[in-house]
Amino acid sequence: MKNIFRHPDKSLAAKLIIAIGLLMIIGSFTFWYVLLHKQKKDIIAIAVKYGHSFIKFTRESTRSSMLTFRREATQQVLENLSTPEGVQRVRIFDHKGRVFFSSHKEDIGSPVDKASIACKGCHLEPEKSPALLPTAQKWTIYESSKGFTAIKIIDTISNEPSCYTASCHIHPKTQKILGFVEADFSLALLDEALFKQGLALTAYVAIFVLAVSASLGIILYKIVSKPVSKLAYGMERVSAGDLNYSVPIKSMDEMGVLANTFNSMIKDLKAARDQGESCARSLEAEVAKKTEEIQRTHANLIQTEKLASLGRMAAGVAHEINNPLTGIVTFAHLLKRSAPPGSATAEDLNVIIEQAERCVKIIKNLLTFARATPSEKGEININDALSRTIYMLQNQEKFHNIKFDIHMDDTPFITIGDASQFQQIFLNIFINAADAINERGIITVATRKIVMDNKPFVEIELTDTGCGMPEEILGKLFEPFFTTKPVGKGTGLGLSVSHGIVKHFGGQIDVKSIVGKGTSFFVRLPLVEGYNI
Amino acid sequence: MKKILVIDDEPIVRTSCIRLLGPEGYEVKSASSGKEALELLENEPFNLVLLDLKMPDMDGIEVLKKIKDTWPDTKVVMITGYSTVETAVKTLKLGAFSYLEKPFTPDTLLETAREAFS
Repeated sequence: MKNIFRHPDKSLAAKLIIAIGLLMIIGSFTFWYVLLHKQKKDIIAIAVKYGHSFIKFTRESTRSSMLTFRREATQQVLENLSTPEGVQRVRIFDHKGRVFFSSHKEDIGSPVDKASIACKGCHLEPEKSPALLPTAQKWTIYESSKGFTAIKIIDTISNEPSCYTASCHIHPKTQKILGFVEADFSLALLDEALFKQGLALTAYVAIFVLAVSASLGIILYKIVSKPVSKLAYGMERVSAGDLNYSVPIKSMDEMGVLANTFNSMIKDLKAARDQGESCARSLEAEVAKKTEEIQRTHANLIQTEKLASLGRMAAGVAHEINNPLTGIVTFAHLLKRSAPPGSATAEDLNVIIEQAERCVKIIKNLLTFARATPSEKGEININDALSRTIYMLQNQEKFHNIKFDIHMDDTPFITIGDASQFQQIFLNIFINAADAINERGIITVATRKIVMDNKPFVEIELTDTGCGMPEEILGKLFEPFFTTKPVGKGTGLGLSVSHGIVKHFGGQIDVKSIVGKGTSFFVRLPLVEGYNI
Repeated sequence: MKKILVIDDEPIVRTSCIRLLGPEGYEVKSASSGKEALELLENEPFNLVLLDLKMPDMDGIEVLKKIKDTWPDTKVVMITGYSTVETAVKTLKLGAFSYLEKPFTPDTLLETAREAFS
């Protein structure tokens, strides 16, 4: 409330109050002035009326003494008629302005001021001509020498038969006006009354203006200033970014409607902002996901391309090597025939033959890797292929001390591929697993259905509890000729061949490993639509 | 006399075949290209032809067709560096007796020859 008058230029209510207050002051004072003026006029009219009655009374009172020419009696009447508060002075003078009788004896004989109303009331220019005004002014208001308002009333004494027939014979019949009666009345009482009324009216107006301004101030403060400042505060909060703010105006008037509209606007704004933010967030997540996908695809592509070019090179080399190998194997055999059985030479030649045969195996693997050996495509039940591989391995010495923990889903997982190639993949992984657990431990086998990119896949998980592999090895795992086995033990082709086969049939091969805990291979192959859905 | 013709652009393969089959009682001759082989076949008949699938001038399939057209009684065994089901089926359809994967061991070669002459 204080604030609106401390800075009136900044407050709507203060401006309104000041404007209305000023208008009320102007209006009230105009009313006050008009009222007082009217009252004064009315009172003066009454005074004039009573004044004329008094003049008439004076005339009647002096009539007999005048007719009988008793000057003292006339003078006495005038003296008796004057009172200190009311009638100030009563005079009788003739048309020439000579005072014959007066309530104030000292006036007798003195001339009447020709500039006064006594002459000017009827005559246009009393000093120069006897010309008359169109209408006679028989009274005037003036300020008395004692400081109060006074009224001077004048009236004629007309000639009557009793006058010009009187015994004194002073006035001839032709004379129309014999003289004038003039009376001065004090309006001090009127002044006082008007002053008191003025005071009272001023007080009333002041109280009225103050009361109206104060009520107006309170009303405006309550219904305009306070809600407006609340609204302004709300807008500041909102522009500072706080979209949770709600303007606390509950009224039903325009302010309430404004606040409600503002609140719902902020609510919408907040909803839009939240939506925008969540969109941005999901967009970011989507972008991150896509980026990761692209990176992964890119890496896969590089890997595949690398493997493919290596494969082509390896295949070319393999074909060329086949011919000299034929020669080595043939001639080693020929030499062996001529050497005595069991002799050192025969043994040495066996070494040559064995090593050449190893070369043959390497080359066969290389050719498989390069897919120089096309596969036979057919519908394969992965669980069957896996079971056959496991059955085959269980009879091998290498796997005698290994327990297979099998968790295969009963559903037949049908995929398109080459059963022998799939078996080769599992074989490669199982052999690696057996090496990792030193041919003693558990290999877990699990199959399950998964969905990748909205397409059904079978996931084959082969987990060992072996030594695991560090990150740098995992990265090279599927590269041809990469092996961690001692020289002469592994060709480094098993997993790259597996990788090639899985890729060929539209699948994926993935590996997760924790050093000291074990390694899990995940082979994912696309399922034939219609079978497992 | 069991006459065998070895057709291969690789000298070591030809030599290996001659050295392995010769002592077994076969008369073995060799040719380094399809053209040379056909010339030899014009001059004398062979019971068995060991034919390399991949050669620079004339490829094994072409030579096989010619031999089968001209000398239907001559048995042809294909020698291949990479045995694929498709090529195997194709050559067998064209009349090849059998096929041999490179590098072959002496036992495999002799076994195949024996089968061809049985």
